[in-house]
Amino acid sequence: MEPENEKYNKVLDLLRKSKPGLDSTDDIEREVIKRIERVNHAGLFLSDAFDFLFGWVYIQWIRRSLIAASVALVLVFVYQQSVILKRIDYLSRQTIVTERESRFAHAEEVEKMLMVYRNSGMRFPSKNITISERQMKELIESVNELQLKYKDLENLIEEDPELKKMIEKKLIENNRTNNNL
Amino acid sequence: MIDIQLIEECRGGNFNNFRKLIELTSPFAYSVAFRILGNEDQAKDVVQETMVTIWQKLKKIKSAEVYKTWIYRIVINKCYDQIRKRKRNPEFIADEQTWALISNRISVGPSAALENSETSKIIGLLTERLSYKQKTVFVLSDLEGMSNDEISEITGISKSAVKANLYHARKSISEKVEKYL
Repeated sequence: MEPENEKYNKVLDLLRKSKPGLDSTDDIEREVIKRIERVNHAGLFLSDAFDFLFGWVYIQWIRRSLIAASVALVLVFVYQQSVILKRIDYLSRQTIVTERESRFAHAEEVEKMLMVYRNSGMRFPSKNITISERQMKELIESVNELQLKYKDLENLIEEDPELKKMIEKKLIENNRTNNNL
Repeated sequence: MIDIQLIEECRGGNFNNFRKLIELTSPFAYSVAFRILGNEDQAKDVVQETMVTIWQKLKKIKSAEVYKTWIYRIVINKCYDQIRKRKRNPEFIADEQTWALISNRISVGPSAALENSETSKIIGLLTERLSYKQKTVFVLSDLEGMSNDEISEITGISKSAVKANLYHARKSISEKVEKYL
């Protein structure tokens, strides 16, 4: 668009002729040189510091050693991972066995506790022994099992008079020993 | 005119020749910066920053022929940074006195050049409603006398966009002049 407005053209002429001028370029020159020197100095300092810290990476034998070390590290890492995976696999299988063992251990523990309770002449207050329903069932089962075994043992003794005599004799001896103690 | 030989020597790292380059480059860089920013101190800052950037990147430009376009591009970008910084606190306030000043200067005749402060006021008044692109295109085209191709290369916007922005800028300024003068 070419405005035909005379006033507009006059204003533009005025502005074109009034080119903004610098009083002196000396100040700008001085300031620019100062800034460049500051930038260069900062740049030099940074490059010196960088060279000091990381300059050794340009030495050939160090580079090769680092490559070898990194390869070795990767191999160790892979080996370690495989060992860890094997261990995890082994442990995941172990968990089931441990659970079974712990169930048996509970029943045994309760029996031991009862044994201590009996042997101590029932001096421990009964409220100190707390067992769960599951443990109670296990205890009853084990008592029943024991009773069955005891009956079998009784039958065996009844059937064999010599064995009966021998056991009676052994019991009498034991009682005497206990009385003497 | 800037000597191509001088630019080539500066590209080689000659610091003394760079002083000469500052002396030659600063006036036209300042002219554009001042016409866009309307503030002497900010325009000087832009010139200084531009010269530092030139020193840092002079080696990267492909040929000395594109030097002037390249400088304008840096100046325009630096001016845009300045404008973004002060966007929250616009300095220019249009007043009746500025219109009286323009009217007075036009009537005196084209021989009377404006002071920097007067130029700043008038450009500020005429372009206060323009976008940064429109103002830049107007300054480069109508005040610095550049072609649309050059402006497109400097600003990085297409030629059709340059034309459109210039059209709107001229229209807006023309309407203002028509209305107030």
